[in-house]
Amino acid sequence: MLVLSCRPPIRLLARRLRRAFHDSRWPGWQVIIGIETHAQILSRQKLFSNSLNSGLGEAPNINVSPFDAAFPGTLPVLNQDCVDLALRTAIALDSKIQTRSSFDRKHYFYSDLPAGYQITQHYAPIALDGHLNIPNRDSPIRIKQIQLEQDTAKSVFDPHTRTSNIDLNRAGTGLLEIVTEPDLRSPEEAAGFVRTLQAMLRAIGASDGNMEAGSLRCDVNVSINSVGQPHGTRCEIKNLNGVKFIQAAIIFEVQRQRALLSNGYPVSQETRGFNSDTFETFKMRSKEEALDYRYMPDPNLGVIFITPERIEQTKQTMPELPWATRTRLTETYKLSEQDADILLSLGGGQEGSAVAYFDRLCKDRNPRVVFSWMVHELLGRLSAAKLTFADNPLSESQLGELVDLVHTGAITGTSGKLLLREILANPSQKTPTERARLMSLLSHDELDVDDLCVAAIAALPSEALAFKRGHMNVLNKILGWVMKESRGKADSKLVRERLVALLEQDRDA
Amino acid sequence: MRINVARRLTHRLSSWRPVNDASVNAFVCIAPPTPSAPDPGLPLNGVSVGLKDMICTTDMPTTSASGMLRDFTSPFDATVVTLLRAAGAHIAGKLNCDEFGMGSLNVHSIHGAVVNPFQAPSVAASVPWTEREKRSAGGSSGGSAAAVAAGLCDAALSTDTGGSTRLPAAYCGVVGLKPSYGLISRHGIVAFADSLDCVGIMAPTIARTKRIFDILNRHDPADPTSASHDSRAAASARAFDSWSSGVPSSLRIGVPAEYFPSELPPRIMSRVRAALARLKELGATLVPVSLPATPYALSAYYVLASAEASSNMARYSGVHYGMHVPAPAGEPPSMTAAAYARTRSVGLGSEVKKRILLGTYSLTADAFDNYFLQAQRVRRLVSEDFARVFRASAHSRDNRDAGMGGEGVDVLIHPSAMRVAPRLGEVDGSDGLDAYVQDVLTVPASLAGLPALSVPLPASGAEGSGDEDECVWPVGASVVGPWGAEEAVLAVGEMLEGLSR
Repeated sequence: MLVLSCRPPIRLLARRLRRAFHDSRWPGWQVIIGIETHAQILSRQKLFSNSLNSGLGEAPNINVSPFDAAFPGTLPVLNQDCVDLALRTAIALDSKIQTRSSFDRKHYFYSDLPAGYQITQHYAPIALDGHLNIPNRDSPIRIKQIQLEQDTAKSVFDPHTRTSNIDLNRAGTGLLEIVTEPDLRSPEEAAGFVRTLQAMLRAIGASDGNMEAGSLRCDVNVSINSVGQPHGTRCEIKNLNGVKFIQAAIIFEVQRQRALLSNGYPVSQETRGFNSDTFETFKMRSKEEALDYRYMPDPNLGVIFITPERIEQTKQTMPELPWATRTRLTETYKLSEQDADILLSLGGGQEGSAVAYFDRLCKDRNPRVVFSWMVHELLGRLSAAKLTFADNPLSESQLGELVDLVHTGAITGTSGKLLLREILANPSQKTPTERARLMSLLSHDELDVDDLCVAAIAALPSEALAFKRGHMNVLNKILGWVMKESRGKADSKLVRERLVALLEQDRDA
Repeated sequence: MRINVARRLTHRLSSWRPVNDASVNAFVCIAPPTPSAPDPGLPLNGVSVGLKDMICTTDMPTTSASGMLRDFTSPFDATVVTLLRAAGAHIAGKLNCDEFGMGSLNVHSIHGAVVNPFQAPSVAASVPWTEREKRSAGGSSGGSAAAVAAGLCDAALSTDTGGSTRLPAAYCGVVGLKPSYGLISRHGIVAFADSLDCVGIMAPTIARTKRIFDILNRHDPADPTSASHDSRAAASARAFDSWSSGVPSSLRIGVPAEYFPSELPPRIMSRVRAALARLKELGATLVPVSLPATPYALSAYYVLASAEASSNMARYSGVHYGMHVPAPAGEPPSMTAAAYARTRSVGLGSEVKKRILLGTYSLTADAFDNYFLQAQRVRRLVSEDFARVFRASAHSRDNRDAGMGGEGVDVLIHPSAMRVAPRLGEVDGSDGLDAYVQDVLTVPASLAGLPALSVPLPASGAEGSGDEDECVWPVGASVVGPWGAEEAVLAVGEMLEGLSR
C-alpha cells in the first residue's frame, strides 16, 4: 500500500510526461527556460553608501553621494540591512547560505555606470542551491544562486534634444540577483515562477517587486530542442519588466527558434532585446561580441562572514511566507485555494496587508461572511471606482462593525450594502451604527413587519387567493410589495416567514 | 590659485640650503590662509603639513598630477585631513607626485618633475643652487619627500602602494613611514591599487613622524579596510611583548639575504652594513634570515597593482567629472567607445596608460588564472615568508623551520633602494623595466601589508675617495616589522637615527 502511494501509476506518469513534453503550440518541441531576476532591495539606504534609495517620481540626481558618482577617494561600506534582506530571501528560497561570500567588480564602460564597474558577487555568491515551488507543477524550480549587487544609474534619452540624461538616484541601489537553473518548461511556468517569487519578495519585505516601475526585472534564457534530444542553443532576452512581456517574449522566441531549426538553420547564441510595442525580440549582440567583464575580486570589501547565529536570528524574525499564509487561510479559515489566492494577491494598504486585515476581522466572526464582505462587497465597490485595496479608507473596526450590524439583524443585508456604499463615498470618523441611524436603516427602529404584511395581503387579494390555492411562486410578488413599501429596510427572510404564516392562518381559518 | 612654486614658504628655509622658488617644484598648490587661531593645547599646533596631491581637500584642487583631474576639486576632505586639522596642524598645500601614484621618479606629472633638493655641503659652498646637478626626488611621492627635505613644511603626507613613500624618502634623505595596511584611513585618498595603498608620513625626524602617525592611527568607519581599535592595540602590544619592552640588548634584527643582491652598489651595501654593525655594538642581535619568495614579489606586485589600477582608472571617463574632450563636429553621438577613448587618450599620461593596458590584460578571461590568480598566490607566499621570521607573528612557532632556533626576529633591516637618487637627465621614466626594478626592495612589505620605515643613514667615511658625489647622496635603510608593530619599528628607527648624531 505504501509502495503504491509512493509510486504514481504508470498512466499518471505518462500523462505528466505528455504534458511536460507536448504543447499544442509547438508539438514535438521541448522548451527550456531559465530566469535571472533582479529585484531592487527595499532598504532605506543604498548597498554601499548612505544615500537614500529613491521612490518613483523623485526629482533626478537628488539621492547621490560622492561614492554613487564614483568620485575619487570614495570607498564602499556594506549596508548590513541589505545583507539581512538577502538572508531572508535565501531562507525563503530554501537555499544554502554561504559562511563566506565576497564581492567582485564587473567592468564595462557605460554612462550609467559611473565607476566603470559594477560591484557584484561573481565568484562567491551569498547563497546557492535553493528551491521555489510554483503553482501547477509538482517539482520545485531549482535556484542556482542568489547574489548581492549594485544597480546602475538610469539614462533617459530625450529625442528632442537628442541627448541622454543620466539620473544617479538609482546608482548603487542594492539588487538581489536570483538565478534559476534551466528548469522552466513553458511561458506559463515562467510567469508562475515570477509571480510566486514576486509575492514572496513582497511578503518578506525584501523588494516591492514592482515590475512596471523597474524594481523587478527579468532576463530570460530560452532554448528549444526536439523531444528526446539534448538541449538547444540558448538565447538571452534582456530586461523584461512585466509578466505578460515575459510570456510574449518566450512565445516569440520559441517560434523564432523553431522556424530556424525547422528550416535547417542553427540557432546562434546571442543576447536579445524585447520590443514591448511589437511583442518581438531583436538581436543585440552575438556570443562573439559578448563583453569580457574582467571580473576582479573587490579589494575593499573583503569577505562577508555569516554566522549560524545570524542565520538563526533571521529565521526567527522572518515574516510568514506566502505559501504558509495560503495553507493557514485554507486550513484555519476553510477558504478555498482560489479565495486564499485572491486575499494574497491584494497586497497591502494603510491597514497593513490584506491578509492581516482579514485576520483581524475574523476574530469572533465567520470567516466566510467576512471574506464575502471584504472581497465581494468592499473590493467590488473599490474596483468599480477603479481603486485597489491600497486605497481602502475603511478601518478594520469600521468594516467589522458593519458586518456585525448585518449579522445581528440590526440592519438588513441590503441596507448593509447601502451603508458601505455611503461610507466609501463619504469617508468619516463616524461609526457605521451612527451612520445607519442617520440613514434610518436600523430595522427595529420604526418598522412593523406584521402591519406591512397584513397591508400587502389586503392590497393584493387575487395574489393572496392564488397562494392559498397552491401557487407558491406568487408569494414573491407579495414579498416584493412589502420590500418596496419598506424601501428595502425590511428583512426579506423575516417578511417571507410572516407572510406565509399569515396566509396559511387565513386558509386554515 | 594653483601655483607651481613655494615662494611663500621660502622664509622657512635654513640658510645652508639655498633652495628657492621653482627649483624644487614640490608644491603644486599653496593652501589659502586659515581663519582659525592657533591653539597651544592641540597636539599638532603650529605644525605645517603638506599633502600629496592624491589626498582630497575641499579648499584646494586634487589633481593627482593628472590632466584628467587638472581642474578637479573634491566635494569632501579626506579623513586624514580632518584629523590633522582637528589636531591643530596647518595644511601647507598640495604636493607634486607621479600621476595617480604610478612611478618611481616623480617625472610622470602634469606639474613637471620634482627636483631633489639635496646638495652636498662641499658642493653647496662652491656651486650656486641654480647650477647644481638636478637629481630625481624619487616617486611617486617625490613632492612630499622634497618639500620635507627642503624644509618647505614640517612634515608631509604621502601615499605608498609599492614603495612610493620609502623610495623618495631614501633619495631625499628624510624619514618615510609606510604604516601597516589598514591603520590609516584611505577615505579621501585617490585610489591606485586599493589592496596595497597606504597613506605614508614623511618628516625630518622619527619623533615628528611618530607625532603625525599617532594622530592618524585610528579606526575610520568610512574605510571598510580600516582595522578595528582592538586589533591595533593587540598587535602593538604583541610586538612589544615579544621584544622585551623595547630594550636594545634584547632586539633581534633579521638581515634578509634576498635584500642584499649582487646588483646592489657597494657604496650602499657598505653604509647599510656599517649601520647594522653599530646596532650590534648597541647590543642588538643580528640574525641572517631568508625570505625565499622575494624574487617573485616584484612580478606579482606589478600584475596585482596594474590590475587594480586598470579597474580604478575606469571611472576617469569624462562623463561625470574631470576632463572631457568634446566630440569633433560631425561625429555621430552613438559612438560611445570613441567618446571614452578620446577623453582618456588626452587626459591620462603614458605611464598610467601603460599600466591600464597591463592590468586590463591580466584581468581578461584568458589571462586571469595565469596572471591575477598566480600573483595572488605569490602574494600569500610573500606574507608567509614574513610571518615565519617574526617572533611576534602568529606563525612564530614555525620559526624553528626557518632555522632560527625557535626564536624569530623583531624587525628586518635592509637597504631602501637599489641606488642613490639618479640624475634627472639620465632617467626619463620611459624605460619601464629599469624604473620598476627599483621597487624590488619595497614591494614585499606592501604585498604583505607590513609597516616599513625608511631612515636616512649617516654619511659614509669614504669621502675623499674617487666617487665623492655618489658617496654623499642620501642612502636609506628600511625597518620592516610585523603588522601593527609601528611602535617597535619606529623605536628601531630611532636607534638608526641616533647613529647619525
